[in-house]
Amino acid sequence: MSLFGTASSFGTGGTGVFGSTTTDSHNPMKDVEVTSPPDDSISCLAFSPPTMPGNFLIAGSWANDVRCWEVQDNGQTVPKAQQMHTGPVLDVCWSDDGSKVFTASCDKTAKMWDLNSNQAMQIAQHDGPIKSIHWIKAPTYSCVMTGSWDKTLKFWDTRSPNPMMSLQMPERCYCADVVYPMAVVATAERGLIVYQLENQPSEFRRIDSPLKHQHRCVAIFKDKQNKPTGFALGSIEGRVAIHYINPPNPAKDNFTFKCHRSNGTNTTTPQDIYAVNAISFHPVHGTLATVGSDGRFSFWDKDARTKLKTSEQLDQPITACCFNHNGNIFAYASSYDWSKGHEYYNPQKKNYIFLRNAAEELKPRNKK
Amino acid sequence: MGRKKKKQMKPWCWYCNRDFDDEKILIQHQKAKHFKCHICHKKLYTGPGLAIHCMQVHKETIDSVPNAIPGRTDIELEIYGMEGIPEKDMQERRRTLEQKSQDNQKKKSNNQDDSDDDDDDDEAGPSMQQVPAVQPQAGYVAPMAQPGMPPVGGAPGIPPAGYQGMPPMMPGVPPMMHGMPPAMPGMPPAMMPMGGMMPPMMPGMPAIPPGMPPHMAPRPGMPHIAPTPAAGPIPSRPAAPAVQPAVTKPLFPSAAQMGSGVNSNTTGVSSPPADHQSASSQPPFSNMPQAQQSPSGAAASNSLSTSISEAPKATFPAYTQPSVSSSTSSNPSSSTVAKPPATVTSKPATLTTTSATSKLIHPDEDISLEEMKAQLPRYQRLIPRAGQAHAAAAPPVAAVGSIMPPQQGLPPQQPGMRHPMHGQYGAPPQGMPGYMPGGMPPYGQGPPMVPPYQGGPPMGMRPPVMSPAGRY
Repeated sequence: MSLFGTASSFGTGGTGVFGSTTTDSHNPMKDVEVTSPPDDSISCLAFSPPTMPGNFLIAGSWANDVRCWEVQDNGQTVPKAQQMHTGPVLDVCWSDDGSKVFTASCDKTAKMWDLNSNQAMQIAQHDGPIKSIHWIKAPTYSCVMTGSWDKTLKFWDTRSPNPMMSLQMPERCYCADVVYPMAVVATAERGLIVYQLENQPSEFRRIDSPLKHQHRCVAIFKDKQNKPTGFALGSIEGRVAIHYINPPNPAKDNFTFKCHRSNGTNTTTPQDIYAVNAISFHPVHGTLATVGSDGRFSFWDKDARTKLKTSEQLDQPITACCFNHNGNIFAYASSYDWSKGHEYYNPQKKNYIFLRNAAEELKPRNKK
Repeated sequence: MGRKKKKQMKPWCWYCNRDFDDEKILIQHQKAKHFKCHICHKKLYTGPGLAIHCMQVHKETIDSVPNAIPGRTDIELEIYGMEGIPEKDMQERRRTLEQKSQDNQKKKSNNQDDSDDDDDDDEAGPSMQQVPAVQPQAGYVAPMAQPGMPPVGGAPGIPPAGYQGMPPMMPGVPPMMHGMPPAMPGMPPAMMPMGGMMPPMMPGMPAIPPGMPPHMAPRPGMPHIAPTPAAGPIPSRPAAPAVQPAVTKPLFPSAAQMGSGVNSNTTGVSSPPADHQSASSQPPFSNMPQAQQSPSGAAASNSLSTSISEAPKATFPAYTQPSVSSSTSSNPSSSTVAKPPATVTSKPATLTTTSATSKLIHPDEDISLEEMKAQLPRYQRLIPRAGQAHAAAAPPVAAVGSIMPPQQGLPPQQPGMRHPMHGQYGAPPQGMPGYMPGGMPPYGQGPPMVPPYQGGPPMGMRPPVMSPAGRY
């Protein structure tokens, strides 16, 4: 991939601190650093859809800002624009045509950012911080889905101040994912709800959680026909569950695996178990990446049920990750996620976003 | 040998062709001679297991089985005891044995001169005769290659017996996966699901063992056992996938059915019959923290979901000690499930984050990390509240185009969205210079937004962002 020739080809682009001479614990994988990263923890990353030429990366952070970079083929990242909320930004997503970015914030609002005009307008309002935002493009309608800590899931036509639909959830929304016609929301108290989006969004099934700990992240995967068929659910207990919606043999097809834990071989010391902060599926290979509070990312093949790779440990937790539309770039953000509480928060510590060439490492393992 | 016994011959080691009296001894031999790590001397259960262990623990690759005769060094072939031996090697072995036994017989009955000639004949002869004889036996072996399909009659008695031998293997398997955790902890928990699966019998059986094949390496041993008793249920499985496309095509019932679909959810009907099968297997897992989960949601899918996590075994590395996970998980789950859902504002439920063998790196409260962080005053001050006249943010400039002017109809939105704000700002008409009318009030904290900018230019984004403000 021409994306990453040599790491030294960056030079420009602002404050690129590569730390190649100093201790590398902030970037042990020697991946490309995105220039001008946000000043507080990065909560979400999103790459532009294939409908747009080029690769644009959006990152929302706890500094209330949403930043946009253009990622060029030579690996250079060019800051393009920025928008603000009045509260930390918790989630971002793109519209299907790549012209708008939707941002959700702790300030209980969601905004639509028109990149061409660089204007952002509010399109949603909740009674509590909005934790997830997704664009839904159905044949018969289009809307934005927002999940909030106010226990509601609302659907917004961006032109109207009132939601098209509001669904009550059993608990606060902790994470969600949408791949038409399926949406999955994981809530507090280990709630798990699948929605179907045809004609209009409605609750399809409430699933008993395959995990025994707080849900943290969820990502839908597709089958060989490119239809959503299940999801991966991550918890705070270093475990991911692969769950199919209608498997031929649930006991056999659904499974969980442990990840993001320390002391693999050494059983004398207690094992440290870290939260899985985000899960992303490779758009082409169907393999998945998980990032955790332990500061590592791992690539997995859920069909061969094997681990493909685990990274070295970064000095900060990895809080977000995403693939670009063709799966060549894997972006992950290194910042503090509060997993060790207030005491370990150091506002002075730099936050980073790294880009990695993902074309080779996520190829599925051939099943023997 | 004579009668067709299981395996038709005394146990022998595929790797070095030695004979043993008992399969257990054979297995011990294999573990000590062929599956022992040359670096740490850990005894693994299979060749692939050894390979994985060396890779993961010592970061070394091995490509041949230690102490194996040439031609039998394939590290990728999953052989455990007598299971997993390729069919042609089995036939070869039988032929060789037949030869030897016939040789011995002929030597006794013939004189030495003839024995040389007979040897040649014997090789040709027995091989012909043995082929048909081998077939039925091959049927037993075949399942290895074709996962679960060829039912072998007359085997029902065997699998259960053979099954006893299985459990030791199964737990071995999980550790193989990752190679890291010791096999032992993996064993007992692995034993339980296995033992639990047996009573539910056939339906349960194929569920688990066939679950193995999808594992990293082929598990020839499993299909051996599984397909035979499950000959009945198994054929139904192929039918299921055939049905699948029709079933999963819509993924969800049509929207018209959604209503009924949702209603039926409450009765837990939505799951396929497989749920009931595993539901019947729930008792065996009762020692798992399932009991705690029963309050939440339908019991059938409950057991299904939890048994899923326990039963399908350690496929992934790190899925090592189910006992560890269950010990840590049972506590937290009891504390989180048993307690009524706590609201964020009041005392949240707490997790048990530390157990004897593991420590959850997470604050004690069972609320999300984002919720904890959002409670900091640092992040609170900017959130609009009724009456908060952060309107001190006079310089609308900072608005920085954050909100599109209401020309899109924002003012009308106000009533719906920001009643609290309304009061203070009365009528912030569009006219407000640079003030995102209406939109601004809640986010009136222009100045607070500025600091994060650090003056902007570094971003290089300022200029473009500023202009919108100037637009109105």
